[in-house]
Amino acid sequence: MLGHHEHIGDLYECHLVTRLWIVRARGGKTLLTGGSMAPLTERLSRWTLITFACALANFLLAQALIVLGFTWPSAALTGGATLAAVHLVTIGWLTLLMLGALSQFVPVITSRALLDQRLSAAALVLIEVGLVGMVTGFVTRDMARAPCAWCLVVGGLSVCAGVVLALVNLATPLLRTRPLPLPGRFVRAGFLFLIVTMSLGLLFAFTLRASVSSHGPLLHLASGVGYHAIAGVGGWLTLTAMGVSYKLLSMFMLAPEERGVLGEVVLGLGITGFGLTVAAGLLDLVWHGSVMILAERAGWLLIGASISAYLADLVRLYRARKRRRIELHNRAAAGAFISLAAALVTAAILVISGRAARVAPPLVVLALLGWLGGLGLTQLYKVIPFLSWLTRFGKMIGRGWVPRVQDLVCEPCAALWFFLYFAGVWLTVVGAAIETPLPMRGGAALSTLATLGLSREYWRAWRGTYVRLPPAVSSHAPTIQREDLRHGHP
Amino acid sequence: MQPSRDIVLEALRDVIDPELGYNIVDLGLVYALKVADSIVHITMTMTTPGCPAQDYIMMAVCERGLRIPGVKDVDVTLVWEPRWSPVKMVPAARTYFDIPDDPHE
Repeated sequence: MLGHHEHIGDLYECHLVTRLWIVRARGGKTLLTGGSMAPLTERLSRWTLITFACALANFLLAQALIVLGFTWPSAALTGGATLAAVHLVTIGWLTLLMLGALSQFVPVITSRALLDQRLSAAALVLIEVGLVGMVTGFVTRDMARAPCAWCLVVGGLSVCAGVVLALVNLATPLLRTRPLPLPGRFVRAGFLFLIVTMSLGLLFAFTLRASVSSHGPLLHLASGVGYHAIAGVGGWLTLTAMGVSYKLLSMFMLAPEERGVLGEVVLGLGITGFGLTVAAGLLDLVWHGSVMILAERAGWLLIGASISAYLADLVRLYRARKRRRIELHNRAAAGAFISLAAALVTAAILVISGRAARVAPPLVVLALLGWLGGLGLTQLYKVIPFLSWLTRFGKMIGRGWVPRVQDLVCEPCAALWFFLYFAGVWLTVVGAAIETPLPMRGGAALSTLATLGLSREYWRAWRGTYVRLPPAVSSHAPTIQREDLRHGHP
Repeated sequence: MQPSRDIVLEALRDVIDPELGYNIVDLGLVYALKVADSIVHITMTMTTPGCPAQDYIMMAVCERGLRIPGVKDVDVTLVWEPRWSPVKMVPAARTYFDIPDDPHE
């Protein structure tokens, strides 16, 4: 060990470049002073875990609608229950999940605090209340007298207000950070597409309200809804998930964070591709022309190139990891990446067959439940224990025995649920492809069961159910378990 | 009488990085340690910039340092350069994490 100590001394003399923060203890009191970072209490978002809980509840509700046969293919693709389930997944589950994760993630990548913690709470309430209104509006839309047609507009406005608050809160530290690291630039691009998605969604809500109140025929929403979905699922959720995954995967697998040219290519092609597809597709609805069709095809090509580059970069990242034995959340995430690759192939088939603008159920299931939902569930399996650890044990560190983050989970227990989840999703995809309710509902039942199982594992991690105190500690011995601390727990 | 640097380093092995579950000294997070006039000066880093656990770890280093007999004050400075990498771990830690002995930076 002596050699190691001498090495420490050398580093002090040679490489001390950036002094960011000083902790100074005097007379038994410990103070944080100086530096550019926010104080501890401001950097840990208080609303992240409750946001995750709401998101999971929304996801389970959407899954229940599919399992019980209220949605396509048992009902119409643009039917109220199908749209309710889709928005419960996209807004209630994925957007809330992403906003909750970003309220923790943005301070990590920017080293700056959010604008105001209370904005996270207000955004959560507005989005949840708005979502209830939207779901009510969708479900009652098909009824003869449309008793709650205004619910969709009011609910949509409430969701938009909540998203705006969340964006103000999250974008402030992002905009103040120069230069912004690559993951942050993915998130920034995702925010722009979120605004586009939200604007298009409101437009559809107002259009729908107008057509219902005038008792006229419903506008041809299906053609435009596709671009609303591409902006949301692609531009907002996929670009943001890519950025967050780059940071999380490299951080937890001890892989290089710098993605070099390939990372820039993924971002550049992704922004251009999604932007071009949505813009050209929407313009084509107004001004039909071969130029718009050509531009939209080019957009799809760029999206395909971006996702291909991302998947290739992930292979590179996994191979370059220093941590050979990776944890369950990173192993299970492979299911999400396989779903993304399958979605890419499905989209290519749709574009080649000229059906790109149509909402294709297998593609939607692969993207929403396989890629984004799968990535969300797997990463929650790390993020929730980590936040739980910080909340419960953070202030005990150095004072006595504390568990590791890994001690809060039981990987063999959760591995089965992840397997069932992805098996269920892929069975749902098959059911959607052959437009048959039984495999679709059966697959959804499997993935719902798995989501319930995983929710139970998250709860156990939060409660510390799996933490086992070493004998000396559990018998109230005052000594610290030095060997445990030095070498990790067995 | 002020403690030696070895005694302080040994005490700091009580502080773990919660994510990796290993003590910060053998992970190579402590870049410099000096004891002068019963004041412990520590320069350290984290495994990743902006780590949410960093304030807890730094507080723990301070509090653990203060509990060493003969220590009056503790100064902890957090730095990001040079960036931490697994190459800074001691061999035993690299073995624990199944990391090759000569990982590339």
